[in-house]
Amino acid sequence: MYRLSSVTKTFKKNNQLVTALDSLDLVIEDGEFLAIQGRTGHGKSTLLSVLGGLDRPDSGTVELDGNLLTRMKESEVTRIRATTIGFIFQAFNLIPTLSAQENVEAGLVPLGLSPDERRERAQEALRSVKLADRGHHLPSELSGGQQQRVGIARALAKEPRVLLADEPTGNLDEDTRDDIIDLLEEVRQRYRLTMILVTHDTSLAHRAPRVGVMRNGLLIFQESPRPERRVPNWAPGAYADDQ
Amino acid sequence: MSTSFFLLYLRRELLRRKRQAVVIALGLAVGVGLVVTVGAATDGVQKAQVAVLHGLYGIGTDLTVTTAPPKSDDNSKVVTPTDTPQHHDFLGPSMGLGVLDAAKLADIARVPGVQAAAGGLTLTNTKINLAAAKDVKSLPIPTSTTVNGLDVAHQGLGPYASVKIDKGRSFTGADAAARVAVVDSAWAAANKVKVGSVLVLANKRFTVIGLAGQGQNAPNIYVPLGPAQALSSFQSMKTLAGRVTTIYVKAANGAALDSVQKNVTRLVPGATVTSSSNLAGAVSGSLASAAGLAKDLGRWLAIASMAAAFLMASLLTLAAVTRRVREFGTLKAIGWRSRQIVLQLMGEALITGIIGAALGVALGFAGSALVEWLAPELRATVAENPGSAPPEVSTISGGGVNTRVAPGSTHTVAVHLTAPMTLSAILLAVLLAIAGGLVAGSFGGWRAARLRPAEALGRVA
Repeated sequence: MYRLSSVTKTFKKNNQLVTALDSLDLVIEDGEFLAIQGRTGHGKSTLLSVLGGLDRPDSGTVELDGNLLTRMKESEVTRIRATTIGFIFQAFNLIPTLSAQENVEAGLVPLGLSPDERRERAQEALRSVKLADRGHHLPSELSGGQQQRVGIARALAKEPRVLLADEPTGNLDEDTRDDIIDLLEEVRQRYRLTMILVTHDTSLAHRAPRVGVMRNGLLIFQESPRPERRVPNWAPGAYADDQ
Repeated sequence: MSTSFFLLYLRRELLRRKRQAVVIALGLAVGVGLVVTVGAATDGVQKAQVAVLHGLYGIGTDLTVTTAPPKSDDNSKVVTPTDTPQHHDFLGPSMGLGVLDAAKLADIARVPGVQAAAGGLTLTNTKINLAAAKDVKSLPIPTSTTVNGLDVAHQGLGPYASVKIDKGRSFTGADAAARVAVVDSAWAAANKVKVGSVLVLANKRFTVIGLAGQGQNAPNIYVPLGPAQALSSFQSMKTLAGRVTTIYVKAANGAALDSVQKNVTRLVPGATVTSSSNLAGAVSGSLASAAGLAKDLGRWLAIASMAAAFLMASLLTLAAVTRRVREFGTLKAIGWRSRQIVLQLMGEALITGIIGAALGVALGFAGSALVEWLAPELRATVAENPGSAPPEVSTISGGGVNTRVAPGSTHTVAVHLTAPMTLSAILLAVLLAIAGGLVAGSFGGWRAARLRPAEALGRVA
């Protein structure tokens, strides 16, 4: 479970202070699927970075399963990223010189597995995204959708508890986009993952039970068109702002 | 980190950035090749110096002890043209050399740190044919032959140490008092002398027992010290019995050399005690100029080129890290530690350095071959007698009334410059290139380690 309390993050841009996260309070339950929308520059990616331990807030606390990420050493946060959090990127971020299978294995390197175990887990992850027969292909030999599947396999192979997806369908056509989001939902449910999805795409966002909109560093929640799948949550700051 | 994955990733990245890896490796190779070539040329110049000096002072000699002649006797002879033609045959200590009491040898041998000491007599036999005064149109050129009297019990000290017998035999202990001679092969060929020939030196007959190959600057004739001491024909020095012109000293080790030099200087007041490094300074001519060039310009050229190669490799590696920001940001995001990324970069830099080393060694070989091919013949001028300063003028002076004959002074010899590639030069090349690669890798690693993943991913997203 994530618990964010009074998280503030500012940046300097053109000599002006920009508030990306403004005293944000947020709770994300285990297994929850949360979509975050918002215009460019309103703090979506910053929130994802803070959740993933890629960036530290200026103030406030970020807690994951009882671990205060904001007070941990960098090496400990790195360890949590290696074991607990899976990242999925808009541009796939595959290493172009490595094959699909080797890219998935790259995500397992920090775990210190034996080469055989690493290979087996990578193959299993590729099977789960229906790319078992493309393991030896380089990213340049795969379509955009296939590359994103490799990215998902890389995130899944480490058996994380959290998936952080930053515009995972932003570079894909409409059909492929649906395939990818179906796949994400499927793996989330199969592995009971907590998933935070950042997207511009409203139709995609509305597949999540809870949807928040980032606006000037504030997270504003709105009713989901899929209330039956909504997970109970607690986000007083956001709700207050939403009124 | 998994070794197998490290090697796989390393290989793929180097192949992907083949052109850049080759450019960095070539940059390092050029720097290293230049360092190695300059090093080889410097080594060659030093070897040439040593070869020139060894011919005169002998291998294994650490110090030479000499003394200047009294001002009233500079071992020269004044010959005045008369009404009748004259033939003169002088033999005595070579120019610039005085004599030392051989008893000093025992004192020097007792100096702490002295392993061995031996006396030698360096003589010059000068012959001149002078026409009658009315017929003198130009000054005749005397012919000089150098004769070295050596202690046959210490053949490893002095110029005889560099002798290799081509024909016949060398001296034995039994030859100490015998009138026998070992003759320089080139001199023997020029003077039609063979093993068994008889040489006449100051009216004494010597039998040639061996022909010797040696350096260009070496004495022409070697005879045992005892018979040599009985050869002087200079009026002012009727006998050289119990005298030597040079004492050759070998120190027990290099560390003792300084103290030995000081103690020997104290023991023989007024004598010149010269070490091999002092002797190197006495070499003049184009060889000395080449040595200076290699030492000064060459060294700075090598340092500058190596620094340029390091800088270029570092900048290219930094540029590569900048191009790979997203890749490293991604690796950090998926849990790679900074040190794993640094290790990866250092590995790539190390391989590039090794390729640079291989190319650098090849360039070094090519450079040294080029130096040997292009280098002009150098000339070395050295004092004929160790410890004496090389006189500016040696031969004959005078204006038709008096002719001054100076028996020996300096030698000028031609030296072919070599640039030998040694194992140490190759090792230096390998180490430099690898160091260059690692320096470049460290800069890249430092840059990558400081990379904040959120920033790295945000920069390109």
